[in-house]
Amino acid sequence: MATTRTHALKEWDTLHNNGPFPLKTLYVTELEGDGNMPDKIDRYNDATKEIQRLIKETNDAHQGFRAYGSAWSMNNIAHQKDRMHYNGFMNIHIPMVVENLHADTSFDASNLFLFECGTIIKRVSEVLSAHGKSLKTTGASNGQTIAGCISTGVHGSALHVGAVQDYVVGINLIIGSNKNDVVYIERQTEPALNDDFAKKISDRIIRNDKLFNSALVGLGSFGFIHGVVIEAEPRFLLKRYVKKINKNLALELSDTLDFTNSAFKIPEETDAQGIGNIPYHYKVFINQYSNEPNYVVELMYKKSFVADYKDPFPVIKQSVYRDLIHLFTKMSEKFPKSIPWLVKRLRKTILPQVDKELIGTLPQIFWDAPYQGPAFACSVGVDHKNASKALDLLANLTKNEGPIPGIFALRFVKQSKATLAFTKFPVTCMLEIDGVQWNKTNKIMSLTEFSKRIIEVLKQNNIPFTLHWGKNSDWAFPNLLELMYEKEKIETWMECRKTLLNSDMQKMFSNDFIETIGLYSPNSIDVGDPDAPIV
Amino acid sequence: MKKISKIIVLIALSSLLASCYSIRLRSINGGPQPDPLMLRNDYYRGMEVIELDTVITIDITSKDFTYLIKESEKCKSGKLHSVEFKNTFGGSLLSLITFGRKRKMKVKYVCMKPTN
Repeated sequence: MATTRTHALKEWDTLHNNGPFPLKTLYVTELEGDGNMPDKIDRYNDATKEIQRLIKETNDAHQGFRAYGSAWSMNNIAHQKDRMHYNGFMNIHIPMVVENLHADTSFDASNLFLFECGTIIKRVSEVLSAHGKSLKTTGASNGQTIAGCISTGVHGSALHVGAVQDYVVGINLIIGSNKNDVVYIERQTEPALNDDFAKKISDRIIRNDKLFNSALVGLGSFGFIHGVVIEAEPRFLLKRYVKKINKNLALELSDTLDFTNSAFKIPEETDAQGIGNIPYHYKVFINQYSNEPNYVVELMYKKSFVADYKDPFPVIKQSVYRDLIHLFTKMSEKFPKSIPWLVKRLRKTILPQVDKELIGTLPQIFWDAPYQGPAFACSVGVDHKNASKALDLLANLTKNEGPIPGIFALRFVKQSKATLAFTKFPVTCMLEIDGVQWNKTNKIMSLTEFSKRIIEVLKQNNIPFTLHWGKNSDWAFPNLLELMYEKEKIETWMECRKTLLNSDMQKMFSNDFIETIGLYSPNSIDVGDPDAPIV
Repeated sequence: MKKISKIIVLIALSSLLASCYSIRLRSINGGPQPDPLMLRNDYYRGMEVIELDTVITIDITSKDFTYLIKESEKCKSGKLHSVEFKNTFGGSLLSLITFGRKRKMKVKYVCMKPTN
């Protein structure tokens, strides 16, 4: 049987030390050994029973419950003040076969895989690679769990692909401790699995686009995500170029994404007529404190997989002295004016090496990111057409009201179908500033104040925006949700949640984060009718 | 004279510090066994680290020794993800004066996360 270890704790923190946050109980569940229970479906369902037991135990104690994996989110979205569940040891995978497919599916069975919630992206990639497959995209690194990625909208910079949730085609949720509380959800318009298979892992099968799209970026509040079915694709290579190009040209490309007609070309990446190829990935690095006329840009082009490509890994990877980062933080707090100078000194560490080319598979290019100390990241999504305008505003904010110990980058992501995806624009430019955490002093504003100013500046300049769910912001900003999303989308998400979860579970699977942004209020429970059709 | 003494102390101290260093090996594949309690704030934050700081005594006839990694609560897979070996001046000295019979072993290692 799957077993759970219970830890009585007083606090919990994220990987990047964005807390600590108060906590009463931490559950850690481990699966039954495969020697004792060789069948993967049996072990998967055995874990379902264990999670249902924990949900019942928590409900009986009238407490909240929230699952988390790698704790990579930089705010309290993964936090629950009562009981939290670490699911990182729950990492079964099951490749799908033709017999598992829905009669009306358009998916190729060889591309579909069921992954249990706690499987980290690196492991997902390793499993897929062993089948000659690849994820379509990942974040900039690989340590997040698959459930954590989709719950918060983790993305890379794949212009024509989307974010991690955009290749999820089925979700297995545990929404209570009773019979019928294990559901499998997929889109009605894009069914993937047949009832025979879905019944093996669930009590109920729901094929509904609206519900699926709402649950997809569910912010950890649609129940316990036990597993997801993803669509992979045949393995491919990415050729990565890092170039220094004129600022105006880099920003023109950001605003237009017109790589075909741009003056910027990589000779190896043009067609027979000399027209530029469309990259898979485009990223711009911006040191807002530098007056250099050029920006560093990173482009990746998709290539067919061949076995004999050059190993992209270095033999030695050096890490910056932690004490140096600590010194950077302390100097930023006491002498903020030194930040631009400090950023310049660290540019070799924080920017990729210019003119270095390499080729590798997706998981090789977006590899491990070792912990480097307390970090912050503020990330806003804007329509890519507003990329340069938004960057100009936020870079000026950082220079005029800061400086802030971090630098900007732009990444670009195709629109998501998920109801509350922050990648909601036709192509969203994710404008992010990453850096080291600092404490407010009389010389430098706090991170929350800085985050608040970001929202105010975008609002004042009428730039529609979203915020990355897993990063830092002033989440208590008045009417923030309505500023970011259309009323209809907010209502759809909330209605679907109410339809799926009974009132006890709505409360149990909420937390301070979703209450703060107004997606749930414990005092105004509107009980959905579980028998009502979800339309 | 005082100045010379200070310089000598400084050189000796620098030599001692320089003789103390770490080497880390990490597999490019697989993930580390996680530590859900995240008790550390160093390179290994979020990883279940096993630390060994001991002296191994080997037979006079033995050239070297092999420390076996076994499955345990902190090493569920029994497979290695990363290893950090720390060399100290004291350790080298101990080995030297015992003709290699006593070997200072200061090692941190993280096992692979079990897969399913």
